[in-house]
Amino acid sequence: MKFITPTAEELSFLRPDPLLWEQELDARPEVAEAIEQATATPAGSVYWRSTHDHLYSLELMDSGRGRPSMARVFGYWDRYEPRPVEHEIDADLMEFLIWVAQTSPGIDSVDVLKVAQFAGINISWPEGAVLRTPEERFSNIPGFDYEPRYTEVEGLRMAYVEQGEGDPVLMLHGEPTWGYLYRKMIEPLSSAGRVVVPDLIGFGRSDKPAAANAYSYKSHVRWVRRFIEAMDLKNITLVCQDWGGMIGLRALAEMPERFSRLVATNTGIADGRGSTEAFRRWRRFSQRVEMLDVPLLMRNTLKRKTITDAELQAYAAPFPAKEYQTAALAFPRLVPTRLDHAGAYDNRSAIEKLRTLDLPVFLPWADGDPITAPAEKFLRSIFKNCAPQATIKDAGHFIQEDAGEELARAILEWMAKS
Amino acid sequence: MNFELRRKPEWLETMFPWRQRAIAVNGRRMAYIDEGAGRPVLLLSGNPTWGFLYRDFITPLVESGYRAIAPDWIGAGYSDHPREDSALTFAHHIADLVSLMDQLDIRGFVIVGQDWGGPQGVGAALQRVERLDALVLMNTWLFTGMVSKFHASPRPWTTWHAPLIGQFFMKRHKALSHHGPSATTVRGMSEEEARAYHHIFDEKDSDHGVLTWPRTIPVLEGDRGWADMKAIENRLPELVDLPTLLMWAPGDEVFPIEFANRLKELLPKAEGPITFDRARHFLQDDRGADIARAMVDFLNRTVGAKL
Repeated sequence: MKFITPTAEELSFLRPDPLLWEQELDARPEVAEAIEQATATPAGSVYWRSTHDHLYSLELMDSGRGRPSMARVFGYWDRYEPRPVEHEIDADLMEFLIWVAQTSPGIDSVDVLKVAQFAGINISWPEGAVLRTPEERFSNIPGFDYEPRYTEVEGLRMAYVEQGEGDPVLMLHGEPTWGYLYRKMIEPLSSAGRVVVPDLIGFGRSDKPAAANAYSYKSHVRWVRRFIEAMDLKNITLVCQDWGGMIGLRALAEMPERFSRLVATNTGIADGRGSTEAFRRWRRFSQRVEMLDVPLLMRNTLKRKTITDAELQAYAAPFPAKEYQTAALAFPRLVPTRLDHAGAYDNRSAIEKLRTLDLPVFLPWADGDPITAPAEKFLRSIFKNCAPQATIKDAGHFIQEDAGEELARAILEWMAKS
Repeated sequence: MNFELRRKPEWLETMFPWRQRAIAVNGRRMAYIDEGAGRPVLLLSGNPTWGFLYRDFITPLVESGYRAIAPDWIGAGYSDHPREDSALTFAHHIADLVSLMDQLDIRGFVIVGQDWGGPQGVGAALQRVERLDALVLMNTWLFTGMVSKFHASPRPWTTWHAPLIGQFFMKRHKALSHHGPSATTVRGMSEEEARAYHHIFDEKDSDHGVLTWPRTIPVLEGDRGWADMKAIENRLPELVDLPTLLMWAPGDEVFPIEFANRLKELLPKAEGPITFDRARHFLQDDRGADIARAMVDFLNRTVGAKL
């Protein structure tokens, strides 16, 4: 357990939630003493981040004995948002209890695990909490004959397709699409490396937790990081668009040693300082419909009207009913557009980290995407080592669908040079 | 989580016949009633009351085609009463209501708030602002910088919830939880009605929320509750064009008419304040039927019952 000191600014955006009630430590003074030594505090709060990236604190109080005599534990959640799913919190608390046991004389962490088993503590997704799109929904997908592969992240099945060999080219889709969006780019880019195209959790063939509070900006970032770790991807060329960039750029900031190149297109990293009118219109629309008509949305957004009906329907395949769209319906409101918006602080911290990186960056941008237009300049201001401006003409937000082959060609040329 | 809510006593049934439902929000049980179909109207009460305060609103709303949803805040009514001050903060109440909104998956809703129902309701609605269609505010506030004589006065208010003193009066002796609407009623409520407000807190030491709420009222910068109220106040310009109705009991010493005037400055397109005499702080109880009628009329004229 690594204790940290969060900034007052971060804490101001969070809500402390009492999880383990106040308890006297007097009955086991040797435990109190061990905790005092391990945390180096006789009184006050010590903080740590769990494997789920949630912030927790252990508050130690000294009621005059010169050592901790009372203790309680808080979780810190996005200030006004519902807290994460309960089993995640239990898993984090179990992680903490194991540390307490390992730190304290006379308590064995094996016994803690046994008690947890006896008490029926659930640290994984309960039955019925996760939906999986039936495989037959994917039986008639035109132009996407890649065999689906799966890996597990935090008890969820995450799907991906891959092609080629060598250093990975990781391609991340966004709202409300899936790996299918990259189908025109997989073949050409596989000449330059091992193309890996996952479906984000809640999308495509990946598992879809049903509860809205399962999805936060942070959880998406974590799932993608876990995917990269599970696949042990290194020397990654990241290709990302829309939420693929919002998530991918955070993963890049959090594990920069795994990345060697970045291609960001029609995306951004919202820092809480406003948004475009086009985005706000989309957000309002998305928050008021019962269910997104994805094929219609794609048809309306695409600039080149060459897509077939069967291809449009492929974008609806992952969503047989409204319950399967929880992630897609949540995405627009998870974009941090205000300073106090959940995720805004994390993004501002990530941006500071990204400024220090000198990996080669390519920002091919569509000429017809009002939602992300200003973000190109912003990304250009963040990264030191950007290739010259490259505009893809007659393309909209879904640049991979409008101009996939062109985009792939431009990326290949740039990769050959960088 | 065990979803058995405390059983409603039989004597309450005739006054409050609607089914109590339960939902888990942030790991605690929230009780709410949910009647009718159509545009959701969230009826939000404050300290020390619960959904019962809106009993005269349910039938008129449902009969006019609205969906009436009256939740009890955590720490109030039939919801869980955590025995922990830090579980009852302003931010918790907001997050609890957001959780309810998400789980019921409601859109195009109306926030109706009085007392803490105002800032907590608007605070939650701001988190899902694209889904908010109208606002009805009664004897409440959404801003800092204005303190009523009542909230500044030592008798009874500041003494009532002073450190340690508050714990004696409010928790050990239920000075507020057993003397809320029944102590200020203008029309003279029946013993049974008073009982409906009081029985919630019959259990010993169940009055945490009743004490925590007064302590959260932001009087000075840095007070518990100040930052959250300020965050709401700063975002009020986003609500300027929303159909908004102010209804007020000028006879209320807690939020006198100056508070309505200040809301009108911040939300200049709001209708009202429509004032109601023969009413004090708990105007929904004093003049329930009249206020419900004015509210349904306003909603019919502006957003309508159909989604």
